[in-house]
Amino acid sequence: MPASPQLNLQLITLLAAGMLVLQLLMVAQRQLLTNIRLFAIQSLLLAGIAGVSAFSNHAPHVYFMAALTFGGKVLFLPWFLRRLVRQIGIGQEMHPWINPPTSMLICGGLTLLGYLVARPLTTAVSGTNTFGVAMALVLTGFFLLINRRRALTQVLALLSAENGLFLAAISLTGQGMPLVVELGVFFDLFIAVMVVGILVFRIRATFATTDVHQLNRLKG
Amino acid sequence: MKLDPAAILLQLLLLLALAPFVSGCIKNWKAKLQNRRGPRIWQPYADIFKFLRKDMVISEHASWVFSFAPYVVFISALLVGLMVPMISVPAPLSLFGGALAVIGLLALGRFFLALGGLDPGSAFGGMGSSREMTISAIAEPAMMLAIFTVAITAGSTDLSQIVRATQGPTWKLLDPTHVMAFAALFIVLLAETGRIPVDNPATHLELTMIHEAMLLEYSGRYLALMEWGASIRQLVLMTLLVNVFLPFGIAVSASPAAVGTALLAYTIKLLVLSAAVVVTETTNAKLRLFRVPDLLSAAFVLATLALLSTFLFQ
Repeated sequence: MPASPQLNLQLITLLAAGMLVLQLLMVAQRQLLTNIRLFAIQSLLLAGIAGVSAFSNHAPHVYFMAALTFGGKVLFLPWFLRRLVRQIGIGQEMHPWINPPTSMLICGGLTLLGYLVARPLTTAVSGTNTFGVAMALVLTGFFLLINRRRALTQVLALLSAENGLFLAAISLTGQGMPLVVELGVFFDLFIAVMVVGILVFRIRATFATTDVHQLNRLKG
Repeated sequence: MKLDPAAILLQLLLLLALAPFVSGCIKNWKAKLQNRRGPRIWQPYADIFKFLRKDMVISEHASWVFSFAPYVVFISALLVGLMVPMISVPAPLSLFGGALAVIGLLALGRFFLALGGLDPGSAFGGMGSSREMTISAIAEPAMMLAIFTVAITAGSTDLSQIVRATQGPTWKLLDPTHVMAFAALFIVLLAETGRIPVDNPATHLELTMIHEAMLLEYSGRYLALMEWGASIRQLVLMTLLVNVFLPFGIAVSASPAAVGTALLAYTIKLLVLSAAVVVTETTNAKLRLFRVPDLLSAAFVLATLALLSTFLFQ
């Protein structure tokens, strides 16, 4: 079925907007398990974007990335994180430094900043604001990373920031970065999650909490 | 523009008949999803008829406000319903106002609902009213901003004009800004209809109820009006969501065939939205009351972002 490029572009923009909405909901959400679920849905949308852009640009290796995103970020990582939550039995509720309404406002500002920064590029390159959305995802992802206390929730924030990076690559080039680079980034992240998974256990064994703030006490 | 009595009558009947059906569907599906058998889909009709036949018990401390409130709630819900295009454009009473009038009438209904809760002087009623007002103080601006987002794209705050603009060739279906506005309005829908992350429609537990607390003192005919009014109000909000953001199949002409397809498309859209509500209700835990502003501020920021980005991406 030959879909028109206009339709593909619109579909990508729509899915990207959905990703942004999910990101903002993650900022507002305090429940850890819901947060993991939101991340999984966000990654599903990302896999959809990769699939659509692979289809419209006839780039087979992006299909591969879409499949990898689906397998890794939609199925495996959420499962892994959920298992981790169960095993270490940490509480359901997260305790960010800044309360959710204020962080929502800050993230709203960051989103606008992302849009503004991306504006020269979006009008020149692709004509859509997907890159702006990607910038917003990266910025809010970093904000989440700073705002959260516990190692596990920080991993989640890192992953959503990475979703933004992947989206940025797709939106600028239309076919993402070369496969090797993507694979490299993906496995880096994968290993990072694993390492943090182990680290969470170690931190908890030492301090009886997963609050990374406690690590400050390790200074000599 | 003249008033069309046939259109008014049709939409009035549709509002009265469809509202309990949607409530019943949501209740029934929710039960099914939780592995319960659940009440039949027609149960809300049976409830309303039962309440209508019963005698009323009215507290001796209640004033005229108590008996006045159910009528205001019911009639304001119906009036709002007639101002929102359901199956055909323009809406029967669109002559009398657009989005602002709709929001105002919804607020009027809510105001009298809260007054009705306060009037008999019961502790729970007062608590319910104060909670309802707290929540709506944040939900209402989010709703306004979300509607304005679409109004700016359409170039009019008249809902019929907005829906007509969505049928035009230049309309970008589900623009990113509209996705954000839709998400905001969906959260507002959950809050305004007392759905689970905000309020539990199935509970009569003192500590958690909001909407039910205000209805505690009502019985008989008044209770029927209140419940029916609440379900009409829910139907109106859902109509607003589906017809403004997913404008498929609305009848632009008044021919029977167009109206028929519009009715079919409208019912399908409503059922899909109800399913989305059911899934949200089942997969989320009820928030603590003091956490509700978190959720609603998320809706508010989403709507603000949507509105601002309409200007950024002109």
